[in-house]
Amino acid sequence: MSDSSQTSPAITPTDRPWHALTWLLWALAGATAVQLAPNPLYVLVVIAIAWVVVEAHGLGGPFARAFPLLVGVAILFGVLRVILTAATAHGGNDVLFTTPSFTLPELLGGFTVGGDIQTEIVTYATAESLVIVGIVAVFAAFNAVASHYELVQAAPRAFHELGLVIVVALAFVPSIITAAHDVGEADRARTGGRRVGRGRLLRRLVPVLESGLERAVSLSESLDARGFGHRPPARRERLAGWCGAGALLALAAAFVALVARAGTTALVLGIIGAIAVAAATILVSGASTRTRYRRRRMTAADWTTVAAACVAPVALAVASLSGDETLQWPVDPLAFPSANVLPLVALLALLAPCARRSLPVAVHSPVTIRTRAAEAA
Amino acid sequence: MSAVTFDGVSFAYPDADVALHDVELGITAGEVLVCAGSSGSGKSTLLRCVNGLVPHSSGGRFSGEVVAFGRSTRTHAPRELADVVGFVGQDPEGQFVVDHVERDIAFVLENLGMTESAMRRRVEEALDALGIAHLRDRAPATLSGGERQRAAIAGALAAAPSALVLDEPTSQLDPQGADDVFAALGRLNADLGTTVVLAEHRLERAAVLADRITILDGGRVSAPARPRSALADYSGAPSVTRLGRVLGWDPPPLTVREARAAATSHPLLGAPFEPSMPTRGEPLMQADRLDVSLGGQKVLRSVSMDIHRGDVIALLGRNGAGKTTLLRALASLQDIDGGTRSGDATVGYVPQDPGLLLFAPSVRREVAETLRLLKRVDDGAVDGWLQRLGLEQLADRHPRSLSGGERQRVAIASVAVGGAEVLLLDEPTRGMDAHSRTVLERMAHEHAAAGGAAVLATHDVELAARCATRAVVLGDGEVVAEGDARDVLAGSLYAPQVLRVLPPFLTVEEVESALARKEP
Repeated sequence: MSDSSQTSPAITPTDRPWHALTWLLWALAGATAVQLAPNPLYVLVVIAIAWVVVEAHGLGGPFARAFPLLVGVAILFGVLRVILTAATAHGGNDVLFTTPSFTLPELLGGFTVGGDIQTEIVTYATAESLVIVGIVAVFAAFNAVASHYELVQAAPRAFHELGLVIVVALAFVPSIITAAHDVGEADRARTGGRRVGRGRLLRRLVPVLESGLERAVSLSESLDARGFGHRPPARRERLAGWCGAGALLALAAAFVALVARAGTTALVLGIIGAIAVAAATILVSGASTRTRYRRRRMTAADWTTVAAACVAPVALAVASLSGDETLQWPVDPLAFPSANVLPLVALLALLAPCARRSLPVAVHSPVTIRTRAAEAA
Repeated sequence: MSAVTFDGVSFAYPDADVALHDVELGITAGEVLVCAGSSGSGKSTLLRCVNGLVPHSSGGRFSGEVVAFGRSTRTHAPRELADVVGFVGQDPEGQFVVDHVERDIAFVLENLGMTESAMRRRVEEALDALGIAHLRDRAPATLSGGERQRAAIAGALAAAPSALVLDEPTSQLDPQGADDVFAALGRLNADLGTTVVLAEHRLERAAVLADRITILDGGRVSAPARPRSALADYSGAPSVTRLGRVLGWDPPPLTVREARAAATSHPLLGAPFEPSMPTRGEPLMQADRLDVSLGGQKVLRSVSMDIHRGDVIALLGRNGAGKTTLLRALASLQDIDGGTRSGDATVGYVPQDPGLLLFAPSVRREVAETLRLLKRVDDGAVDGWLQRLGLEQLADRHPRSLSGGERQRVAIASVAVGGAEVLLLDEPTRGMDAHSRTVLERMAHEHAAAGGAAVLATHDVELAARCATRAVVLGDGEVVAEGDARDVLAGSLYAPQVLRVLPPFLTVEEVESALARKEP
């Protein structure tokens, strides 16, 4: 295995300058900023900042490609969205070009697909898609720079087992991509390089799935052998179970009340639900005997960074309230979006995590132990 | 005092034949017990019984009782034995829970609910015990095979278990990596009194460490005995032991050192020996000054290699030296930065992990599939390769239900049946027992004799000594040594055992034939 796996210097938790929670809050601040200022110019600035952050703090290792991959997927969906919107929505004045059109039967909605493709619609859909790409970019950057495991360790103990299972499952994704590539290669080599299309999907899918399953079994045995898992539920945990069920019921009822426009009832039910959730979390966390190794805590510097990053959404909110018109981009009448200095400066606050740099760790040359066993072999 | 006792244990996996048959076994506290036996003899199953993975995780029919440190696995799940039994499975890659060596080691301690200060101490001790303190911040995926295996052992060791159970801990390691692992195990056993139970195919190192060896055969366990008596008649014994048997030394030696002491006055020592030099046929394939880089790192530097008809080439070199990359480059699966590949021979490549290839519901259909893909029908070829790789008995089994060595043979048959002249085999001996290795050696010979050629990337110098005609040693992407297998192996620190005891002989078989010639 190790023959083919390349050792890339990975940045490790201890040299990561910021806590995973800091990164999560940073990502939330960035996403909020995008929502508050959907003007394409501002969104592009946020995407650029996300890219800079990944360049400065990217972890390497299996999640190194999370950023380009997720942003690529977002762009793909954005383009699809633009095409679908342009083909189905009509109502502008400026016709870009015209395609053949047909009208769906009444049963399927009865709207017209194709026909006049209008500039306003295309521009509007593009701007909307860009907002989504911006939000995805921020969270993709979070995935590329933060340790998921650290986040699990920071979460209340009640969520630990679930969180760990999710982290382990996430770690499977890159390994499955590698396996799919290796299987494809083995399949090609089997016929001496000749490509055979027929039945290829099966030949490629079965080994990937079966290898993945074998790995999953091996991992679950390792988890088991290392003491991971539920103990018989304690009295507190059963109590917490009831709290959780009650919370679910209360929140569902609050939703119904909200739909029925019974505001006060919804509020009261919502508060009861939230309290029950908190109680369940505290009860389960208290019952857990699990401890945490070298749990990283949020430092003053972490909180400072979070505060600095929050300047962006706060300033944008203020600008929005004080009537800054550049935050939105009016598509009609069509004009190049304009920008103000204040929102641009506010967005730069999202660069706060770059105040520190991640230093890549040099790959140590293996220090080998000289042994007496060598003489026996 | 008995640490682990097996009392009348029988077990069968769901929908399968009996894997363990009425096992009675007592493992003494503080001993090193090595389980030997051919593939599919039940070694892994036996080991997995110790901490209750069998039957808790596997399912199946279980009878009898296993008691580990006073806790019966009937009433205790594996996680309730985590503090007394550390377990390292066959595939270290699949066992890391956290993508960080130090935190992965701490995982078991967190689950046991230790205090933070106790955890810090235990983790440092585990790092030191395995000599991997410098790797603490690495991701397991970036480690070499030996480092990864030691990190996995540290993860099992952190809880300071009374017993460590390891399933083929060195099957994927180069000689140096295997030495490191065994040195670490020996230290744990000597210094901490940890009971060590391990399964191994290659006994050269394990036999030295073992206090007792038990041999499994078809799910039956022999009474554990001292290595010398356990291995006296065992076909998978280390080469020096087999050499001692052939030369009538009593007791048979276990180490090169013992054998050398016995051989000082042997008449065969330094005897003139004219090995039959295999003749090389016409060239099939040439690689000239290949350069390959992966992810910005140079993996191969100006590597040249000639492959002729009749060659069986052993490709040696430590983990990460570039063996796989070279094979992939020869198979045109790898883009090369510089150099040329020439020759129009057909090439077949078998990857390290046979699981990448296998998808058909039976061994026969797996092998026939390749011909179907090449749009040929040739039942004779299918039967021929099944027979050549000793798979006739297994033809109707599901490839995934086979043991590691058997799967590897199925993968080789599936590729070779396509009629490739040059067969490139990447670590074919991973997890192979003595029988599978013999079959593989015979196959390589027959293929070469029929005008083909085979290249085997391997860590197993004994295998190289037995079947290679030529050897190429790679070190950090460069060819360090190349030439006749005998010459290359003779100069190596990791020379085969027999050569180190009775030069110029490479293998027990050569010594036997020399003896036969001497006393006709």
